[in-house]
Amino acid sequence: MRNLRDLKVGSEAIVSSISGDARYLSRITSIGITPGCRVRMLKNDKNRPLLIFSRDTMIALNKKESESILIEEVKAV
Amino acid sequence: MINGKKVLALLGQPNSGKSTLFNSLTGLKQHVGNWPGKTVEKKEGSFIRNGEEIIVADLPGSYSLSANSDEEMITRDYIASGKADAVCILADSSQLERSLFMLADYAGIQVPCFLVLNLADVAKDQGKEINIKALAEKLSIPVCLLSAPDSKNYESFYKCLDEAFDKKTLLDSAALEKAYEAIEGYSELKSIIPDDAIKGYSSAWLSAKVIEGDKAACEKIIPLLNPESKRKYEAVVAKIQKGSVLTGQCKFAWIDDLLSGVVNKVQKKAEFTKFDKAITHKVWGKPLVILIVIGGLLASFIPALPFMGIGMGISALIAPLQEALLGAGAHPIVTGIICNVVIQSVAYIVQMLGFVFGVTFVFGLLEEVGIMARVSYVFDNTMARFGLQGKSVMPCLVSFGCTMGGAAGARVIDNWGQKVLTIAIAWAVPCGAAWSIIPMLASNFFGAGAVIIIVAILLIMILHMFVTANIFGRILVKKEDRYGMIMELPPYHKPKVGALLRYVLGRTKDTFLRVMKVIIPICLIFWLLSYTATGLPENTILYKIGSFIEPVTKVFGLNWKLFTAFIASSVGKEGAVGVLSALYANTGTIYGAVVGTNAANDIQTLLAVIPKAEALAFMFAITFNVPCIVALAATYQETHSAKWTAIISVYYTIFALILAFIAYHIGLLIWPV
Ligand SMILES: Nc1nc2c(ncn2[C@@H]2O[C@H](COP(=O)(O)OP(=O)(O)OP(=O)(O)O)[C@@H](O)[C@H]2O)c(=O)[nH]1
Repeated sequence: MRNLRDLKVGSEAIVSSISGDARYLSRITSIGITPGCRVRMLKNDKNRPLLIFSRDTMIALNKKESESILIEEVKAV
Repeated sequence: MINGKKVLALLGQPNSGKSTLFNSLTGLKQHVGNWPGKTVEKKEGSFIRNGEEIIVADLPGSYSLSANSDEEMITRDYIASGKADAVCILADSSQLERSLFMLADYAGIQVPCFLVLNLADVAKDQGKEINIKALAEKLSIPVCLLSAPDSKNYESFYKCLDEAFDKKTLLDSAALEKAYEAIEGYSELKSIIPDDAIKGYSSAWLSAKVIEGDKAACEKIIPLLNPESKRKYEAVVAKIQKGSVLTGQCKFAWIDDLLSGVVNKVQKKAEFTKFDKAITHKVWGKPLVILIVIGGLLASFIPALPFMGIGMGISALIAPLQEALLGAGAHPIVTGIICNVVIQSVAYIVQMLGFVFGVTFVFGLLEEVGIMARVSYVFDNTMARFGLQGKSVMPCLVSFGCTMGGAAGARVIDNWGQKVLTIAIAWAVPCGAAWSIIPMLASNFFGAGAVIIIVAILLIMILHMFVTANIFGRILVKKEDRYGMIMELPPYHKPKVGALLRYVLGRTKDTFLRVMKVIIPICLIFWLLSYTATGLPENTILYKIGSFIEPVTKVFGLNWKLFTAFIASSVGKEGAVGVLSALYANTGTIYGAVVGTNAANDIQTLLAVIPKAEALAFMFAITFNVPCIVALAATYQETHSAKWTAIISVYYTIFALILAFIAYHIGLLIWPV
């Protein structure tokens, strides 16, 4: 399965699972990223956090940590 | 209740408009302090409703009520303390689904509350229609729409507030609890955890927190369990995996249910504007941010100008007043203290404050508009090396102009440890005053070699920042508090200039009073030390101390004159050269040089009498010394910590002397005596 880091700019995906320590899970959940939610990659540059769009919100996420967010790619609507 | 007055607490995720609402409600009747025993900023204010004074507390915190930070713990403890008569939960109507998470996380807390759907104007522009009545019925608490900046239209807000106070409306969390039951172990936990294990929190809420692995909640609960319950509890907890994800899914499912039939579906597209593309650009993003800072610094001078005028006006009073006092037969020391210490410091502070005002205002504007979040994104990787968030780059950049502005600008950093660390490393950046004297001194002493010195200063600055971040970072930003970025980049908002201006003016007044408390005593001490009845520097106490410890300071390449100028430079760098002129060439007084009343600097004399190695030591010593007392006072104002302000000052003094030592001995190798 692929992780969020692999998602190309402009593509969309559904989050299938998230792993990490209790603190990370609590933080990532509270900003609205949960299994089943849809994300769209806005920016995925080297040496920068990821920039995604999810639940009507633009969110910046640390790249390394985002490897623990697994996704299934879907067609963009 | 606090002293018989009703208390309203504000709770909401970042960018939900909490500060805007707080400022609208309280106006200038607000007070910023610290939570007792904590380093988190506490904002409290009050307003009058139906002839009754109501206290407003701004609860700190971020996206949820879990115990991930001091801020969130304070918020939870505050709710548990029972002080709040009602909690106002804010959500952003333009991102309703996500921002209702706070409400979902609140569900189960037995403190009266109501829901405010803020940014209603933005939601309306999106074509979103929200059925408030239906939502209120589902939740059984008052709900209203609000545009926080539009303070004339607060009627429905006040109605909700009254209702929550009068009827003590509690949020209906039955549906969410039902959803939790699908989580393995939840029901069992709920049956063994007593209600009110933490006051005001239901066993359902506590069970959810245990499932989320919330350490603070677990620590409160475990001692209350009998041995048998404890065994059960441990068995359940051992089996839980990814608890936050499970409860999170329940919460969002609950929100979806809540919103179905209440809100029309509008598809919102990612608003990735041209400006966003530019500022987040791989190559151009950083230069653009730096340009914005330079622009901001220049813009800061505009609101600063009136202050400078006032300050100079006050300065102009000194000479006539001095004459009048002396003429009336006042003792020269009394006259000196009134004119040179009190009035001169006030004039100096007023001029400097103009800049603090400007920077706070411009930075406040950038934060409100939403640019600061982009800056954080762009500089995340760079600043993470110091253990800081991306925003911390702003105070560091501002410090090239003025350290005090940098310290004031650190206000936008929301975590105390990171704020103090940011200020600590921003001090290492040579400020405008250093840049105005060092290149001049260096080119006079070393000709073209000045370029090497400037490069060396920049390199040392970077090294200094790394060393400082390492030393202080360990304590200020603990390892477990260092985590990667998870942050919303909010849509751009039109700033509320009027409200911001009022807020910044209030803050500036606060800063003024605090700064006075620091600066007048320091100026007084300095004035007394440099007081001379005859006009000869050799009569000052400074000379006596300086010449007594000269054998020690000489090790650093600083004779008593240079050392005096070094000490003076921690009061104000602009004055350092003037002090040398006063000491070497007898032009003006030491004190006058520091507070900027001396006229001429006599560089030619200095060139003739100061050996090159000593000059080199001196330049490094003053560049990396404590920036100035106003910066020190601003640091105290922002960190609320006398201890840390003192630690940083002592550290900088020592670091500067070590650099002087190294520079001096390198100098001796190049120019042996
Ligand atoms: N259009 C509109 N803008 C709003 C409204 N409420 C707040 N804003 C703007 O949204 C931005 C963020 O508001 P703040 O009050 O700073 O939000 P906050 O919840 O205090 O956020 P933090 O300071 O990060 O905790 C500001 O630029 C406000 O002017 C609103 O109802 N409508």
